[in-house]
Amino acid sequence: MKRLAEILLLCCAVALLMGADSENVRFQRIGGKIMCTCSCAQMLLQCNHVGCPNSDQMIHQLRGAVHEYSNDQDVLNFFRKTWGVAAVVEPDTHGFELLVWVLPPVAIALGLVVLFVKIRQWRPRPAQPAPADLPLDPHLEALRSRARQETEL
Amino acid sequence: MPLFGSVCLAFALVLACYCLVVGIIAAVRKDAVGYRLSETARRAGMATFVAVTGAALALVWAALTDDFSLTYVLHHSNRALPVPYKLAALWSGQEGSLLFWSWLLASYGFVLRLRHKVDRRLVANTSMVLAGIQVFFLVLVNFVANPFGLMDRVAADGNGLNPLLQYPEMVIHPPMLYLGYVGFSVPFAFGLAALMMRYPGEKWIHITRRWTLVTWIFLTIGITLGAHWAYAVLGWGGYWGWDPVENASFFPWLTGTAFLHSVMMQEKRGMMKVWNVWLIFVTFMLSILGTLLTRSGLVSSVHAFAQSSIGSWFVSFLGVVFVVCLVTYIVNYKHLEAENKLQSLVSRESSFLFNNLVLLAVTFAILCGTLFPILSDWVRGYKITVGAPWFNKVTIPIGLFLVFLTAVGPLLAWGSTSYAGVKRNFKWPTVFSLLVGLALVVQSMRPWMGTEHIRSWFVWQDLAGFPPALKLALKTLFSLRPWKALAPIFDWFGALNLGPYYSWFALVLSSLVFATVASEFIRGGRVLQGKLNTNLLAAMYALSRRNMRRYGGYIAHVGFAVVVIGLAGLAFNQEKEQEMGLGDKLQIGHYTLIGQDYTQDDNANYGSEAALLDVYKDGQPIGRMNPEVRFYKASGGQADHKVAIRHFPLEDLYVIYAGKNPDNGHTIVKAFVNPLVSWVWVGVMLLVFGTGLALVPNAVAVRARVPQAVTAPSAEDSRLQPVGASK
Repeated sequence: MKRLAEILLLCCAVALLMGADSENVRFQRIGGKIMCTCSCAQMLLQCNHVGCPNSDQMIHQLRGAVHEYSNDQDVLNFFRKTWGVAAVVEPDTHGFELLVWVLPPVAIALGLVVLFVKIRQWRPRPAQPAPADLPLDPHLEALRSRARQETEL
Repeated sequence: MPLFGSVCLAFALVLACYCLVVGIIAAVRKDAVGYRLSETARRAGMATFVAVTGAALALVWAALTDDFSLTYVLHHSNRALPVPYKLAALWSGQEGSLLFWSWLLASYGFVLRLRHKVDRRLVANTSMVLAGIQVFFLVLVNFVANPFGLMDRVAADGNGLNPLLQYPEMVIHPPMLYLGYVGFSVPFAFGLAALMMRYPGEKWIHITRRWTLVTWIFLTIGITLGAHWAYAVLGWGGYWGWDPVENASFFPWLTGTAFLHSVMMQEKRGMMKVWNVWLIFVTFMLSILGTLLTRSGLVSSVHAFAQSSIGSWFVSFLGVVFVVCLVTYIVNYKHLEAENKLQSLVSRESSFLFNNLVLLAVTFAILCGTLFPILSDWVRGYKITVGAPWFNKVTIPIGLFLVFLTAVGPLLAWGSTSYAGVKRNFKWPTVFSLLVGLALVVQSMRPWMGTEHIRSWFVWQDLAGFPPALKLALKTLFSLRPWKALAPIFDWFGALNLGPYYSWFALVLSSLVFATVASEFIRGGRVLQGKLNTNLLAAMYALSRRNMRRYGGYIAHVGFAVVVIGLAGLAFNQEKEQEMGLGDKLQIGHYTLIGQDYTQDDNANYGSEAALLDVYKDGQPIGRMNPEVRFYKASGGQADHKVAIRHFPLEDLYVIYAGKNPDNGHTIVKAFVNPLVSWVWVGVMLLVFGTGLALVPNAVAVRARVPQAVTAPSAEDSRLQPVGASK
């Protein structure tokens, strides 16, 4: 069983390692995290605003940034600095913005804890042993025996 | 007419106040006088409906007759506007939509009060709660957002309806959505009233079941029509952008779905009474929050057609509702003690518990993302945008777990399920879903080969990346270990595309849902087949007729799985933008678009430009597409795209007229190939159909066709229960 788990883990790692990104894929992916700032409320790569004053420039900058920075976060930080925080629709994983990433999993974890506690409370406890099955107290038993002897007709 | 409308509104408010106040007095006094008072309150509630109807008709009449003395009509209609859109003007603006809310609530209240014989005391108390909600909305339309405000001067023509709303679905979508939002007021009112009066038993659950199901159906249709409208009108190639207003409509749907499932535990086992009461309270409050987000302009949205200071009223109302619910609960919580305990973790009950946890987790996650910009504005002084990538990363893994529960839940028995039962029930569905997964791999859907590999088939768009919270948790875990040097691997891991994996899992889990539902039908059908001496299909039909609720629910589950398959296609959207002169070609996926002509048109309402494109699929002509952009005159030339869409079973070809190159006059066309979109619409139809079936009463008796008498098994026949069900 342990060997099987190891093989499965290895297969998963190999499968994930094979998913390498090209620059174009990175461009598409990061472009999906940036919003056009022309107030059209659309994602940068989806902006179809006729004569949009910003999207062409932003797309051009994105191509350059993807080429220049190997890390996606650096590209997003570049856009945050150039076009403002609102340009990036995926919150940062540092500082105050970390809160929005942490809250849902924490809530789920809390929910699971509460659920398991409730289930433990609900599940029937093993039945208490009947009084007859309880171990006898020798002192009490001696007293009972004496009482029986003394009251015996 | 404006005077008539104003008088009707004022009269409606007086009647609703009477219904509320006298309803409270009648609830306190439990003698004969109290009974008579409650009867007068009921009649006042019904008269409220007549008065609000009068006001709504007055506004519609003003819009139809181009009465521009009314500010509302001036701002939301014009003479050239087609009649159906003039009718839609009733709900296209703030004041009108609030009046529409009031009217729908009054209509629901009217039906409820008409059917008071079902339980006079409970309905009287429910009517009192509904009157409280009604008073709030009537105060708004009388004093804060009166739709009958008059202009100083009568203009010659109106400003027209928002061009984005001039689409046939927009005549149906808002009423459906509002029927859903408002409809949750009724089960909420029943729940609150039942708790106030410490109503014995589960009768209020039985009474509200139909109300809740019908409301849920309306909300489902409303949300779907909105998604289809976004797909066909907004022209960005998708149907769900995690826009705050879209999310707002999703909140009550999610908690309402949780409620529909968890009430079954109360009905069957007398459990989760507190949970159910709070679920319906929360669902109602989220409906109000949805209206607040749509109407207040609190969050920026392409769907928010109003901005005003009305938000503070809604926030206050939400506060009042919460306090009333909390106080009622604290006073009466002892009444909600469960009658049964959970017997096993592997049981139908625990699957419902997990289902509820997952649905609430999704609701909370979406709520966090939707309200975080407001929170960041308060805390940091600027709005942090939380967009689709965040929502996808957070909600997709939770959603996949929900699909898994949808598959597993129906095969678990009430009480407890034995290991042998689990093994027997899950063997074939699991084998089937694994075969589907394998077949997908054989058919070139190999997520581990990266998106470049799949590009020839589909293209991965935006469901990329690993959940950063998980990434962070793993990083923290690793930082405690000496092998810290491995931490950079997680940065690389976080940049991976998990979208194709998610899609693959979604397809496999959906097939698991199909297999489990099919196995349930087949197993039950086989039991009846022998009894009725008929074929398997007829036996399965007879089986469904005997327990419409259960088997209708299964069909709804199949619909949900079909929707999930449609959503899995999102990962593989392709798009291309190009200038299209005469004879120019645009190649995307299997399709070739050839520019043939370019036209302009003009009428009283709008001017338009359109491209005429011949379309070929794998070299074979399939017709012509005319993507168009309209410039509405009354709105100062505001542009609105009319997307050209060709639906195919496996994909949609979606073409937008994106504008003209000012240098050479060539049209710019943007084309998308969106896989599996039709599956979403078909899936929703099945979902609605299945839920509708669950409303149909069971067949009373089924006659056997064999000569000798055969005892028909009841729906509770142990053989129709999943294997391993406890006795």
